[in-house]
Amino acid sequence: MAVTGGSDLSSEMEVDAFRRLFPLRFHERHLLESIRPDGRSLGKARDTTIALGAVTSANGSALTKIGCTTMLAAVKLEVMTPTQESPDEGCIAVDFHMPPICSPAVRPGRPSEVAPVVAKQLSDVILSSGMINLKDLSLVSGKAAWMAYLDIYCLDADGSLFDAALLSAVAAFSHLQIPVVSLSDEGRIVLVPEGNGGGKFEKEPVNKEKRKLKLCTLPFSLTCALHKNYILADPTSEEESIMETQLTVVLDSSGLLVSLNKPGGSVFAHTSVIQDCVALARQRLKEVKLILNEAISDMDVD
Amino acid sequence: MEFVNPEGLRLDGRRATEMRQFRAEIGVVSRADGSAVFEMGNTKVIAAVYGPREVQNKSQQINDKAVVRCEYSMANFSTGDRMRKPKGDRRSTEISLVIRQTMEACILTNLMPRSQIDIFVQVLQADGGTRSACINAATLALADAGIPMRDLVTSCSAGYLNSTALLDLNYVEDSAGGPDVTVGFLPKLDKVTLLQMDAKLPQDTFKNVMELAIEGCKAVANYIRDILMENTKRLECRRGV
Repeated sequence: MAVTGGSDLSSEMEVDAFRRLFPLRFHERHLLESIRPDGRSLGKARDTTIALGAVTSANGSALTKIGCTTMLAAVKLEVMTPTQESPDEGCIAVDFHMPPICSPAVRPGRPSEVAPVVAKQLSDVILSSGMINLKDLSLVSGKAAWMAYLDIYCLDADGSLFDAALLSAVAAFSHLQIPVVSLSDEGRIVLVPEGNGGGKFEKEPVNKEKRKLKLCTLPFSLTCALHKNYILADPTSEEESIMETQLTVVLDSSGLLVSLNKPGGSVFAHTSVIQDCVALARQRLKEVKLILNEAISDMDVD
Repeated sequence: MEFVNPEGLRLDGRRATEMRQFRAEIGVVSRADGSAVFEMGNTKVIAAVYGPREVQNKSQQINDKAVVRCEYSMANFSTGDRMRKPKGDRRSTEISLVIRQTMEACILTNLMPRSQIDIFVQVLQADGGTRSACINAATLALADAGIPMRDLVTSCSAGYLNSTALLDLNYVEDSAGGPDVTVGFLPKLDKVTLLQMDAKLPQDTFKNVMELAIEGCKAVANYIRDILMENTKRLECRRGV
């Protein structure tokens, strides 16, 4: 990748050294040619893979990779007593962790600033998009409901953390298998042991039909880095640290806008820029939906 | 409870001196200097090494050798019941210390004065023997990071149930209350660096159990060496040497 021309040092220096010393100039030089250092065009996201059922100790799980960014999400269900205000609703608790393995910037002991921010955005999007009807998590009205603990671990942080985390959360919920439970004589909820499916039940199960969670709509997101007049879809962590500002667009599976987030930064998000980002997100939505459906159908075949 | 049936098979169908299946992979975290995933049966851990790098807390700097730091943590979904323990509970502090001291024994810290090496291990799935799996993953990650070491430390556990010595205990066997001997072993030097045991055990049986654990460590060492050789060959191939 020889950088040619220009009166700057770029013609006299090794590419790697130039990249480290003048990261901004290095990237701007690429942007001029409408290409990015990893060979992508500006509007293209990185390769994405989804593997369902990566954690055997959880009720639903997914391992998602966008480029090098890796997220492991798992859902565990526990029985709880619903609150008095909403006696026939379950609850979802979302947690996002960035253990120190994921990036050289995260230091142990000191909680990172990014993790709580992503966790908050995630729980906002999951709850406000109406993906899960909390009433579906109810078991016995006023007595028992499911508490869904969603834990997402970032195993490798290389930019666009929110996109990867949301995708892994959606995938983990689509993989979720709800265990069969029944009501015991003392009025407590007990698990029905597996492999009892066809045979007689000692107690009639409470949720025989509800083995899968019904997902009304699925939220998908795309983060764009904005720099001067350029819009870069799905930035890597290097790009994120150099570019001026970011914009995250969340769309649901029918293409409706769920949330927009531009966390401050320099002011130059004109309406046209936002529209361009939404258009990119629409395109990305189609790609991701396809990848997720493939992962789910692969799972069903197994 | 019967842990070994009359045919000599254990709950998961293994023989008494049979280990669970290993699987290891190097270079799983792109931005770490060295990283590895290590699986022993259903136990799965991921380790990342950052360093040698500048010491973050200058007061901890040592002038003639490197500082080694280690942090162990478990994912909330790694065990059967969801854990709600805060980070830095006693158990993980203890395991962090054990891993750090074990790895320190084999890293040539005197070659990297005034620097720091961070080892982070994260348990993704726990099914007994997390301590051993973490040490094995950390060894692979350190080797991947190219940090000079005396030897590859490997670790394995062994226990004694139903008057039989059992190699590589899983969670059910581990929580049965019998003795659990964890050994950290330097195979080339033929020396033991870590030895932990809880519960009572007669002295002569202890010797057998410990020897069994050491055999396990040697098996792990062979596997780790194969993985590293394979990785080196791949790198060599890529460079076109």
